[in-house]
Amino acid sequence: MTWLSDRALGHLKSMADLPDFSATRYDIEEEIGRGGMGIVFRGRDRELAREVAVKVTTWPGADVDRLRDEARVLAALEHPGIVAVHDAGRLPDGRAYYVMAIVRGERFDERAARVTLADRLRLFDRVCDTVAFAHARGILHLDLKPANIMVGPYGDVRVLDWGLARLGSDPGRPITHMAGTEGYMAPEQARGIVDERSDVYALGAILRGLVAAESALPSRDRGSGVPATGRPLRPLHSIVMRAMAEDPTNRYADVASLAADVRRFVDGHAVDAYREPALERIARVGRTYRTAIALVFAYLAMRIVLIFWGR
Amino acid sequence: MSKPVLGLVLGGVLGVFDGLSALVSAPNDPAVRAGIVGIVIGSTMKGVLTGLIIGWFAKRTQSLASGIAFGLLVGVALAACVSLMQKMSGQPAYYWQIMLPGGILGIIVGYATFTYGAPAPRLTRTAQS
Amino acid sequence: MTAGHPDAFPLTRHSVVRAIASADPEARAQAYDAIIRSYWRPVYAYIRMRWRRDPADAQDLTQEFFTRAFEKEYLARYDASKARFRTFVRTCLEAFLSKDYDAAHRRKRGGGARIESLDFARADADLAAHLRSDAGDPESWFRREWTRALFADAVARLHAECDAAGRPQAFEAFVRYDIDGPDAPVRPTYAALARDLGMSVTDVTNQLAWARRTFRAGVLDAIRAFCATDEEFRAEARDLLGATPEDAR
Repeated sequence: MTWLSDRALGHLKSMADLPDFSATRYDIEEEIGRGGMGIVFRGRDRELAREVAVKVTTWPGADVDRLRDEARVLAALEHPGIVAVHDAGRLPDGRAYYVMAIVRGERFDERAARVTLADRLRLFDRVCDTVAFAHARGILHLDLKPANIMVGPYGDVRVLDWGLARLGSDPGRPITHMAGTEGYMAPEQARGIVDERSDVYALGAILRGLVAAESALPSRDRGSGVPATGRPLRPLHSIVMRAMAEDPTNRYADVASLAADVRRFVDGHAVDAYREPALERIARVGRTYRTAIALVFAYLAMRIVLIFWGR
Repeated sequence: MSKPVLGLVLGGVLGVFDGLSALVSAPNDPAVRAGIVGIVIGSTMKGVLTGLIIGWFAKRTQSLASGIAFGLLVGVALAACVSLMQKMSGQPAYYWQIMLPGGILGIIVGYATFTYGAPAPRLTRTAQS
Repeated sequence: MTAGHPDAFPLTRHSVVRAIASADPEARAQAYDAIIRSYWRPVYAYIRMRWRRDPADAQDLTQEFFTRAFEKEYLARYDASKARFRTFVRTCLEAFLSKDYDAAHRRKRGGGARIESLDFARADADLAAHLRSDAGDPESWFRREWTRALFADAVARLHAECDAAGRPQAFEAFVRYDIDGPDAPVRPTYAALARDLGMSVTDVTNQLAWARRTFRAGVLDAIRAFCATDEEFRAEARDLLGATPEDAR
């Protein structure tokens, strides 16, 4: 009998676990991710000669309905921040699958660790835009976290893993199991009560992570009102606190309001979540309009020079 | 506010103050005191024209540096025209006293219209006709 | 008990677990052959690692365990409701080893029926490095060696299927790419395989795809043969192929 080395055994194990797509137009190449409901593979569409990603349920009979629902949610949402679904079906062994565009890039938190706070907040704004789009079509995500957000090479953002997504107007369908991820899940979500503010909470938790790392940044981002560290970050902390309020009635009513407040912070304007003292307001206005103020002072200085020159 | 309109308003406001500053730079000159209204009106109109031209240019450029440079050029050029007109009418020319502030005001308007003016709306065409 | 050539096996797979309790002695003997083929390495590894016996002792005990299991029909007493078959085998082994079995009670070397062609030397070489360190526990070794035997069995089955289907090149490509390939300094490309096997790259792709599909089916078949119920089969497949029970929420 052939003796198999450990390496060969490992390779054969992962190959044996590959789902059988021989009856379809897709060739499965390798596993690229594994989530609660299924495994994601890199594959190839033979008809269109392009790379695709294929999500398959872990085992026959498991989570078939949930995967189909996830595919339908994605198919109903056409947005640059949501991956496009190409196809869906069932394998001969009973497993369900759907085929989507392959997403290239890095995880949100990995990209965030390498850029300035202002750039992180701009990426965050794009995530909010994507989630707000889904909310406008009655779909909640309910599992937002950095691991479910990819950032492409050009700063394009994709929100993935809509496996827990549900229609916000469909309260009759209860959440039958503990959904979401600890640290990002709104308190009421554990009790099965969800609405847009549950996603606001998760976005607040993501924002908190972005803000927490700012002390590691080497320099401030020029051309924006965003400082690198210190007291001027209080408005941003207030935004986080409001987004992550225990009581949903104390949070932002929707994702658009959260995003608008973050944009105001990036542009150097006053934010809704923070009542700033007068001195801080003066300092903020001074920072935001520092160049214009410097130019005016230059004009005044020049006038004074001309006064003395003329005498 | 669009860039040309912002330029117009800002240029006009700065022109008023620039005109009034003649009282500070030449407080004892009776000609200045007597003609202050005309100075302010002239300065305002120069500021409005300067601001309009700079705002129009800011709408067409993607570069802050070129917006500022253009503002400086227009500010100095129009101020030079005013000085020449003064000389031709027999008054003292005050080249530096007019061109220097004119140039700085041009820089201010160039920076402000580029940074704070609303960008021009982009026309989008759909792929399907 | 028939000595049985461990490399031979029936092309049609029957449930080994059911066959060991069969009234037909031929079916029982074939089932025990299948069990020996799949379990001798994990049993040997377990005796060496858990009981720290020297190679000679461990070889004798391995032989003795299977001989007694056949004669006393230990394994026919398996109850699927209590545990997986793999766990049951290990429990029987533990019970066998815990008896104070000194050399006087063992059959003399060379006496009694012997199981042929068990590559103890190879098994020893594999264990040597791990016996020196404390890395890995005997239970996980038992599972690992059981998996290795299962897959080796599936490779042998694939070989027979390729011969029967007139696709010897499919097996050749499979061995070179999927078995030898992971250990090679540079894995062969499809183009290199095509050149060596005298076919086009597309043919290599298709032959490998066929071989892998057949191999996958053979692995699942092999797992199923040692499971009494569908539920046990699903659990074993998840456990052995990398997907963990936590993945199926």
